[in-house]
Amino acid sequence: MRCYFAILIAGAVLTAQTVDRTKPPETQPLPAFKLPPVYETKLPNGLAIVLVEDSRFPLVTVRLTFAAGSKFDPKDLPGLADSTAALLTEGTAKRTSRQLAEEVASIGGTLNGRSTPDTLVLAGGSLAENAPKLIELVADVAQNASFPKDEVELQKQNRLQNLLQQRSEPNFLAQEKFAAVLYGSHPYSRIAPTPASLEKLDAAAVKAFRDARIVPNNAVLILLGKLPSRAAALKLIEADFGSWKQKPINDPPPAVAPEARRQVVLVDRPGSVQADIRAGQLAITRRNPEYVPLVVGTTILGGGASSRLFNSIREKKGYAYSVHSYVDARRESSALTAVTQVRNEVVEPAMQELLGELETIGKERVSAEELTSVKNYLSGRFVMGLESQNGLIEQLNLVKSMALPNDYLETYTTRIRAVEPDQIQRAAAKFISPGRAAIVVVGDAEKIGKSLEKFGNVQVVKSN
Amino acid sequence: MRTHIFTLLLSGSLLLNGAEVSVPIEKYTLSNGMRVILSRDKAVPVVSVYVMYGVGARSEERGRTGFAHLFEHMMFQGSSNAPKGVHFKTVESNGGNLNGSTHSDYTDYFEVLPSNKVAVGLWLESDRMRSLAITDENLTNQKEAVKQERRLSFDNQPYATAIVDHWPMLAFKNWQSYHSLIGSYEDLNAASVKDVSAFFKTYYAPNNAILVLSGDIDNAAAKKLIQTYFGDIPAQPQPKHPDLSEPPDAAPGTKVYKDPLANVPGVVTGYPGPKRRSADYYSLAMLDVLLTGGESSRFQLNLVKGKQSVVSYEANLGWPFGDASDYKDPNMYAMFFIHKPNFTGKQIVDQAQEEFAKIQKEPVDPKELARARTFLLASRLNSLQSSLTRARLLAQYELFDGKPELINTELGLYAAVTPEQIQAAAKKYLTPEKRSVLEIVPAPKEAKP
Repeated sequence: MRCYFAILIAGAVLTAQTVDRTKPPETQPLPAFKLPPVYETKLPNGLAIVLVEDSRFPLVTVRLTFAAGSKFDPKDLPGLADSTAALLTEGTAKRTSRQLAEEVASIGGTLNGRSTPDTLVLAGGSLAENAPKLIELVADVAQNASFPKDEVELQKQNRLQNLLQQRSEPNFLAQEKFAAVLYGSHPYSRIAPTPASLEKLDAAAVKAFRDARIVPNNAVLILLGKLPSRAAALKLIEADFGSWKQKPINDPPPAVAPEARRQVVLVDRPGSVQADIRAGQLAITRRNPEYVPLVVGTTILGGGASSRLFNSIREKKGYAYSVHSYVDARRESSALTAVTQVRNEVVEPAMQELLGELETIGKERVSAEELTSVKNYLSGRFVMGLESQNGLIEQLNLVKSMALPNDYLETYTTRIRAVEPDQIQRAAAKFISPGRAAIVVVGDAEKIGKSLEKFGNVQVVKSN
Repeated sequence: MRTHIFTLLLSGSLLLNGAEVSVPIEKYTLSNGMRVILSRDKAVPVVSVYVMYGVGARSEERGRTGFAHLFEHMMFQGSSNAPKGVHFKTVESNGGNLNGSTHSDYTDYFEVLPSNKVAVGLWLESDRMRSLAITDENLTNQKEAVKQERRLSFDNQPYATAIVDHWPMLAFKNWQSYHSLIGSYEDLNAASVKDVSAFFKTYYAPNNAILVLSGDIDNAAAKKLIQTYFGDIPAQPQPKHPDLSEPPDAAPGTKVYKDPLANVPGVVTGYPGPKRRSADYYSLAMLDVLLTGGESSRFQLNLVKGKQSVVSYEANLGWPFGDASDYKDPNMYAMFFIHKPNFTGKQIVDQAQEEFAKIQKEPVDPKELARARTFLLASRLNSLQSSLTRARLLAQYELFDGKPELINTELGLYAAVTPEQIQAAAKKYLTPEKRSVLEIVPAPKEAKP
């Protein structure tokens, strides 16, 4: 029956039209898409609330985000925010770790803490019908985490094994050293704990961090999905979070990031069959007007499979499987980063090719065709990212935690479309400059050390 | 990084507070044999154009390991009207995203596009199905890219060589299943343009393909476009499926692999699994949720917490190359533990076996099973938000079962599994004499100066 139907259609179409296969088809303009409305308010204790009704799926998604990221780790305790985040869900005054896990599972839920350089995030979700229970669980872990001794001990042990495992991966070693080289003494220079800091970490340190920073006036609660009515949702939130006491927050004075300069650091990983290369420099935050031109330029340089770096290093030269560039943006700074992994024999020509592309984009105007193409690419991917509740809530969370203007998401594609070639060239000349790019390579020093000497004074460090 | 990779691609018609969530399906076949599934959802102006071919690494021939994957790379090297570079450029300059991937039993390609660009995706997919540009230059270039991918994703990573190249040799006796899926450098070098052409003609014919459009589409307009672009691509003789049968009563294998790149020990263990979509398959899949699904799973509570021996784990029907959704028998129910150095791999395997023994001895508590069902439902709903996931699932159900509608009905089969059935499946499949074990031991580093 299906075939019969299909054949009928086939007959009708074949006589009705022929197609020019030599060109991409003409298409209609994209239908307008509007973000769902965002409602914002604040509790008397300072907790910022964001509610977004998104009824596409019978689910709710939540983020409770604190300005309590790893940049607030004490100097001798890197990893404290990370461990605090992990331990918030390991027991409260009301529930053991096991009870929490079982209750979360029974509402079709997830609830996990994580830390980023700027924030500590409690992220969760559940079936829509269980939204009240989800809100109560988030409130419990945020306010009443008890950090039981045995859970803290286990978290330390497992984090240590996890760290050892990460340190066997070249990508992690490259990331770790690149942050250290770019950020110098700025707190963004540390991306992970050390065995020594894990050894030192204890329940008292975690509790002190929580008491200082996990407070309502340092947080925003975003609730998105198929929600109860606004009044009902607010009532639930007030009941669960209303009695949470606010406290003064002591923010350290903002740290100063070092000036960009050429440095070449080789992390020796004996036996590596390829070299993991990172090159780049510190740049501007999302709040800077040059940020959008910089993102467009970085995408032309190395975003996706039609970028300049992909075409030269992978498609033309066959040096690498993967090569890309991006702006790794944080609240107080960002790092323009180009990444590739090449086989040992071609480290030098690949580096030359990479630095050559970094130079060109600051020297020559990008073509109109490249620019249009990348504008479409960035706008299209932005809309694509909004298919799921998680995709949408991450965008909203970004706006809040990076202190961006409220219309940031609504105007994002318009701002992308407005970028001119001159703006890209100006931003690139400042922030995609090969002369100031720091270079970090992870690989077998014996095999690739020589190839790097052309690019500066090579500092060789051990991987472990 | 805790990897509780339980895959979400399992369930079906979803009843929540009486409201049913269902994925719309319209299925038909073109006269050249190409199967088409349309699934309209207007929530976001995005469409996934998804093509699945019924050929994977298990179809490879001796001397041509890694060929299915090498061929996948060739699919991005241009076709008559979209020469080299045009595919990437066209998709990305239209605001889209694209990729392809090679699996044991299928290979897939997709473009996720703003929904007004659906014709662009169809133009590209049909052009390469009709007229792939198979040249020596492209082949040479892609052999290098694949070797580079092998170095990046396997040769230079801890655990990867053990899992990808050594584990299948313990798990399977049939060469079709145990040979290297990424391929040896020798075999990659040996692949010729003639091989590529033959493979293309045999396996990349419309009658061996499934096209799915999911997302913001108009079905009638989509059908016209599909007929226009794909309707006159000629069919080819139906390709033969490889013989995957395993010898009966094959002895399990054990091995210790010394991994110079690993810092922390790990162990893989696995058991020959049931027939796809048999009653036992659903029972074992539910058992997998009980063991590994979420923070209240038994492995988490009893091994990571209780015994404090395991650091992280993964498990699946079809692990490591697939999951329950694309599981095709013969295959394994296998798992991977990273564990603390004060335990041996053997001890970890024994601890996992103890967890199975508990279930063999005593049916699971109905409350625990209810929690697992809820976990499954929520995981499934979460994954269905993505048009690409919906497309992939629909194509998998069509390819393996001929029933895309399972996307809306299969959860019922999981929900119906009883504690007694789980107990019986554990007894039948998860016995020590059936398990293969691969210990991955960090190798002493070379002496450093």
